[in-house]
Amino acid sequence: MTATALRVATFSHLAASFALLAEKTARTRLAYRSATLLALLANGVAYSVIVLVWVAVYRENPNPGPLALPAMLAYLVTAFVASEILSLNVDWRVLQRVRMGLIATDVIRPLGFGTFQMAQAVGDVLVNLVFATPIVVVGLWFVGGGLLPASLAAALCGLASGALAFFVAFGITFLLVQAVFVLHSGYGIVTAKMALHQVFSGLAAPLVMMPEALRDIAVWLPFRHIIETPVTIWLGLAPSAEVPSLLAAQAAWGASLVGLGSVIFSSVLKKHQVQGG
Amino acid sequence: MKALRFYLELYWIALKSRAEYRVDFAVGVVTALSSQAAALAFFWTVFTHAPAIGEWSSAEVLFLFGLSAMVLGLAEATMNGIWMLPFYLVAGELDRLLVYPVRSLPFVLISRPELHSLGNFVSGAITVGVAWSLAPPPVAAYFLLPVWVVCGAFIYTSALVVVGSLSFITLGHHAWHMMAVHNLLASARYPVTIYPRWLQILTVFVLPFGAAIFVPGNWLRGEYPAWVALVAPIAAAAAGVGLAERVWKTMANRYQSSGS
Repeated sequence: MTATALRVATFSHLAASFALLAEKTARTRLAYRSATLLALLANGVAYSVIVLVWVAVYRENPNPGPLALPAMLAYLVTAFVASEILSLNVDWRVLQRVRMGLIATDVIRPLGFGTFQMAQAVGDVLVNLVFATPIVVVGLWFVGGGLLPASLAAALCGLASGALAFFVAFGITFLLVQAVFVLHSGYGIVTAKMALHQVFSGLAAPLVMMPEALRDIAVWLPFRHIIETPVTIWLGLAPSAEVPSLLAAQAAWGASLVGLGSVIFSSVLKKHQVQGG
Repeated sequence: MKALRFYLELYWIALKSRAEYRVDFAVGVVTALSSQAAALAFFWTVFTHAPAIGEWSSAEVLFLFGLSAMVLGLAEATMNGIWMLPFYLVAGELDRLLVYPVRSLPFVLISRPELHSLGNFVSGAITVGVAWSLAPPPVAAYFLLPVWVVCGAFIYTSALVVVGSLSFITLGHHAWHMMAVHNLLASARYPVTIYPRWLQILTVFVLPFGAAIFVPGNWLRGEYPAWVALVAPIAAAAAGVGLAERVWKTMANRYQSSGS
């Protein structure tokens, strides 16, 4: 073993490793462009149904709630863009590597398992930003300037909220994915998370349009802070006075979920038996 | 007859091998139920704001929801193997399936039943039951329901086979192209009349889920005569199966093994 290998990693080394790993992940994802584009198409098909159903609702009842049709369409398109940007492959990656036993090399990396996964998640977001561009163009053609932020302050707070939403999305995924280490199979966990996300994140409807019982549950869960919070802040639909508390709630959820995931990971790892030989 | 016995035996073995993973089965069923519940949550949200959609009442739309879930459940339980095609191609595993002295398409389809389908099928049956308790159908509907479900499963699987066969050309370790078809099935949960014309044509004639889901629903509303509710699903299923067979044969002829 050389002296270099024993050197204690400084913050700048870790930051450089983090950035490099994010870049590598992005490059890997870009190598599978057709898969990413087809995934976008598949998600677009599913989301188009939601938008078209809402258009039909407004046709039946022009005033179904506090949002008029143009504002609702702007919300839905922005929500789809946010969802695509914050779509992280952490769970599928971990699932596959646990199944193949490759996770053994991931858990001994000097960066730490959680940080390693987060760096890859940042790589996912970088690629998603590229592929979200055509959706934004189509969205602008579809709903016009309604997609643009209400003001400079809304834009800045919306971007900050988007960044915090990343931590919430990563935190939920990182926490739930640990069940894969115990069960060795994560298809159910991942799909159940997707179902919860679909209902409670505000992807299919903002909270104000949900039935009261659903809304009462959604406000207590972190999912709304992935989509609804950044989108309503960006579009100026959230009252200015509530923006600081929404950002604080996002930060609290993000820190709690990532922290909890990190705390329980070592116990989960002790129960894990690596697959393969 | 001999071939049929072979396929049944193969299916039974595949089913037993999938049933070995009991935790997977339990989690899968819960997952399927949660996915259906998520879709129903959106249904609930929508009908909180409108008494009807495209002149379809909530009970009538609920029937479309239930029938779609039953179709998906039956297809996943019996003809789910097409989802594995991209992975078979990448790993060179299709060779093994092609050397059997039977037709390769049914062999691939039945070789991997998905047990979480039970969750989709049962939740769909319950949803249809609730819909029919809210808006009782004519007696004939009870006899036609199995026809609609079986035809719908064949149509859905045929669409998956046609699109999935693209894997023979664009090799990749993913099934996203088939996911687009799967997501399009979700459009059948709502009346096609609310969609733009191009999507109506796509879901009734091109990938005709609507023939087995929307057409029966429209008959229950008194819009079509009974024979349409019987003939349209069967005709669409027959056309779908014929097309799927043809596309599969053409594409499989281009197959080059990637294994060693």
